[in-house]
Amino acid sequence: MRDLASLLKASETPAAGAGDPATFGAIEKLRPHLSMLMGRSGFEALVARALVLAVAEVPWLTAVRVVADGELEGLALAKPATNAAEFARGEVVLLAQLLGLLEAFIGPALTLRIVNPLWPQLSFDGADFSTAANDEEAK
Amino acid sequence: MPKSGERGQRHKPAKVVLAKLSTGVRGLDDILGGGIPEFSFNLIGGSPGCGKTTLVHQLAFANATAERPVLYFTVLGEPSIKMLRYQQQFSFYDPAQVGDALRFINLSEAALKNDLTAVLQEIVTQVTAANPAVVVIDSFRSLARRATGEAGQVEVQAFVHHLSQFLVNSEVTTFLVGEYVPDEIPDNPLFTMVDSILWLSQVTERNSVVRKLQVLKLRGQASVPGLHTIRITDEGLQAFSRTLGLETAAPRPRQRRRLSMGIPELDKMLGGGVLEGDSVLVAGPSGTGKSALATQFIGEGLRRGEPGVMAIFEERPDGYLHRADAFGLQLKAAEADGTLTVLYLRPLDLSVDETMLAILDAIKKVSAKRVIIDSLVGFEMALAPSFRADFRESLYRMIGALTGAGITILSTAEVEDNFTSLQFTHYAVSFLTDDIIRLRYVEIDGQLRKTIVVIKMRGGNHSKDIREYIINDQGVVVIAPRTTDYSQLSTGLPVRTGPRRSQEDEIPPEPKAGE
Repeated sequence: MRDLASLLKASETPAAGAGDPATFGAIEKLRPHLSMLMGRSGFEALVARALVLAVAEVPWLTAVRVVADGELEGLALAKPATNAAEFARGEVVLLAQLLGLLEAFIGPALTLRIVNPLWPQLSFDGADFSTAANDEEAK
Repeated sequence: MPKSGERGQRHKPAKVVLAKLSTGVRGLDDILGGGIPEFSFNLIGGSPGCGKTTLVHQLAFANATAERPVLYFTVLGEPSIKMLRYQQQFSFYDPAQVGDALRFINLSEAALKNDLTAVLQEIVTQVTAANPAVVVIDSFRSLARRATGEAGQVEVQAFVHHLSQFLVNSEVTTFLVGEYVPDEIPDNPLFTMVDSILWLSQVTERNSVVRKLQVLKLRGQASVPGLHTIRITDEGLQAFSRTLGLETAAPRPRQRRRLSMGIPELDKMLGGGVLEGDSVLVAGPSGTGKSALATQFIGEGLRRGEPGVMAIFEERPDGYLHRADAFGLQLKAAEADGTLTVLYLRPLDLSVDETMLAILDAIKKVSAKRVIIDSLVGFEMALAPSFRADFRESLYRMIGALTGAGITILSTAEVEDNFTSLQFTHYAVSFLTDDIIRLRYVEIDGQLRKTIVVIKMRGGNHSKDIREYIINDQGVVVIAPRTTDYSQLSTGLPVRTGPRRSQEDEIPPEPKAGE
């Protein structure tokens, strides 16, 4: 799941020189799509759970809060105090947890059906949904 | 415009033909008279847990295409993520359709605002953008429940009216799904406004629960009235019409062959054999060889190139076939080469319609000419208690359907012997059968022996003799007529009529103990 999250995050990283906004671009891209499926409150609850799980691995994410409609608040304040690599890792971990929850609830096939239309340029044929693939330490 | 004199020759314009959508639910299209009329506005109602969402999912997957997708609006009911989680366990669920051909859209936020206009606007926006063929709103009840009081009722009515107008004019077939109870039907205007109502329910009797479906209303076409059994399995929902089989019943041919029972002396007693397409009942107490006789009937058919189906309810197929093969019938080989199907139907809570469908499917599969049901007692025990009350009626339909299709059916029934009268069955099903063969025990000369008699044969004359038979390694064997004279054999306690001393004691057909 980390590989998939890294892939999605990388595709949403702005080109060099285009500025580096304090947002999690891939999660923001998923937000309206998943809200359409499960309702805004449903998406909000899912991201909130993913955040709880991600904080254990990325402590600076405690500064982030899920607000109405599943938007993430606090990224703008946290970004200056966090180095770029750690900030990027925060998005990857949170995104991996979010996708992991989706996969646990609706399975890999349907998770990819939801993700694929948003990143049509990417290939997910080799996406690994195994437990080992989710465990960074095992890797 | 034609002149008035040409009016008689003018071609009459054709009536509109209602195209029908398949429901994707086996058996349901037949109940509906071909399917759901296109562009209709439908309600699927019933109490929680009776299969509404499964039915509508099946319907959605069956009709979803990329060109004309299905829009599935979820409203305040089961969270869509849970719905997707559970529904994908069914075999009809195709993940490849989700997202393009089948799109799930959550309307909860709009509904929570208590503003039906906002909900309608959201539906209009989505439908206009997607051009769907089918729209599902699940649960419509929770949407309409938001509006209370008289003003609220009017608001709901206006909402339903505008929704219906918009969706029909958008060439959409709509399904509203909701938890309703029968008491609401007279007072809820929604039931008047929709074109069809499919009502699902669960009937509980003692420890068994059976799901039922009823077409309460269907505009534009005739449906099969009454309550139909439905069952939910891994394949999804399946419906069993209460008239299953009757629509295929054809008149029996006038010239009917005589079929051998595989027991030459019994064939003689039957005037040459059983008439093709007859329903034969073999009744007798435990151990008299009813199953042996039934397997010989099937075995003889197989020997003559007539495929068969055996629906057995009491014994396991392995033991059953092993015993039949001990008579030299080679049923295992016939099953292996596909000319015989053995149905072992033991699950509790079966309906007769489910059993009948299983038998009809097996008949089609092997093109069966002979069918046995062994036994009616086991059949009844396999049914849910709520179906047992209708057993005779159901049996009538089933036997009528099978024999109507030219299939000869032999049923067995266990009856207790008493020693004052000759019962046929305690089901009083003799009116269902063309021929009745009765087996019974009689006490003769210190032995409990077995006799066979043909009680009834609707298609012709038959022997009135009471004949003795034995069961040996060839199965049931009817032995030569007795040489000594007895009366009252049918009571089980015969009386020797001839002067005993003037007759020689005959040798028993089977040795006595110690001989």
